[in-house]
Amino acid sequence: MRYLAPGSLKEALDILRREDDARCIAGGATLVAMMNADLVAVDVLVGLGRIAELSGITETDDEVRIGAMTRHAEIAASPVLTGALGVVRSAAGQIAHPAVRNMGTIGGSICHADPAADFPAALLAADATIEAASAEGTRQIPIGEFFEDYFETALREGEIVTAIRLPRGPAGARGHHVKFSRVDGDYATVSVSAVLVMAGATCSYARIALGSSGPVPIRVTAAEEALVGSPLDQAAIAEAARLLAEAADPVDDVRGTTEYRLMLIPRLLARALNTLKDGETASV
Amino acid sequence: MSEMDVIEKQPVTLRVNGNVHELEIAPARTLLDVLRSELRLTGAKRSCNQGVCGACSVLRDGKPVRACISLAFAAEDSEITTIEGLADGNRLSRVQQAFVDAGAVQCGFCMPAMVIAATALLNENPNPGVEEIRHGLGGNICRCSGYVKVVDAILSLTEGSKS
Repeated sequence: MRYLAPGSLKEALDILRREDDARCIAGGATLVAMMNADLVAVDVLVGLGRIAELSGITETDDEVRIGAMTRHAEIAASPVLTGALGVVRSAAGQIAHPAVRNMGTIGGSICHADPAADFPAALLAADATIEAASAEGTRQIPIGEFFEDYFETALREGEIVTAIRLPRGPAGARGHHVKFSRVDGDYATVSVSAVLVMAGATCSYARIALGSSGPVPIRVTAAEEALVGSPLDQAAIAEAARLLAEAADPVDDVRGTTEYRLMLIPRLLARALNTLKDGETASV
Repeated sequence: MSEMDVIEKQPVTLRVNGNVHELEIAPARTLLDVLRSELRLTGAKRSCNQGVCGACSVLRDGKPVRACISLAFAAEDSEITTIEGLADGNRLSRVQQAFVDAGAVQCGFCMPAMVIAATALLNENPNPGVEEIRHGLGGNICRCSGYVKVVDAILSLTEGSKS
């Protein structure tokens, strides 16, 4: 195996075009663990750590742009991720433990596309766009099209995710991510990401995504419609949860049975919505 | 990897505990492996080798990371501190001394990483409460399940305990 550490995105894309079996390594938290377990063998490893343009959080009036190599710890502490984007910040702060948050990157996490991870659902709730570059140019992938199956994304050979673009969301929106784990720092048994706008006591906007509930994060428009126009009372939340659970297809594994996960959905949805309704700032 | 494979080595420069090391290593090797086998710094432990148990924790630019899932090559641009780098000669760091004083050590296997995590936590937040300490060390598993005195040791270094 060879290790290459390009200093620019262009150089990295050239390597990917030139080399047959090259893989990018971001924070390493997942890929090196898989290499240690002999689950993956790589001929050429392309370290992205020296590409400054891939790191950091920048903002314009319309959107916040998170470089793909930005680490979870930086996202969890970002003062820029407020309002609707609190959903991404709160998800980042709940990933694993401090040492892993100092290593893992948002680009690495979504490219791995583990449906039990926290970012996929949070980015779906935040209506993110994934920016990917290849030697041929750059394209924008709506988050709803990015995750295709367990550990599979729309990314093509030779492409690198360069940034996650987050629209500000509607005025007055707040976002929050809740997860249930067996122990602190574990993957979510089920997670719920929510972005809400309350007009007085009535919900005027809702965007909800489930994590750990199927091969890809799940969003159900009808469930959101059941919440909008309601005071987020028990009946409305129960109906939204019923529609979400109907669309969910959770695995039966060591973190919980399918039946147990389906029971978690209404409870976590209520927890997320009540936190946002009461106007608490989304914190970890 | 079979013995028939040709292991290609590449040069790497690592900065560990203030020393600069020029090495030739296979690029798939982890930072933990290189620290232990090449530099003979055996304080960081290999346990799960999956980044879950925390026993391999070291500081990268002052922040805790898992050495077992860090490639040595990816650490080239950073300053690494291991447990061996905390004491000043024979004088223990204040965190190490607090762990000794509190009797926090049982079998000792997880202790170097616990001290690393506690050091990083206190650098970031000099006066953590019990909950903050538990979260700060949440990624460090002790198979003796001896967490109480670890928390006591860290608490003894905070403002509240001095009154």
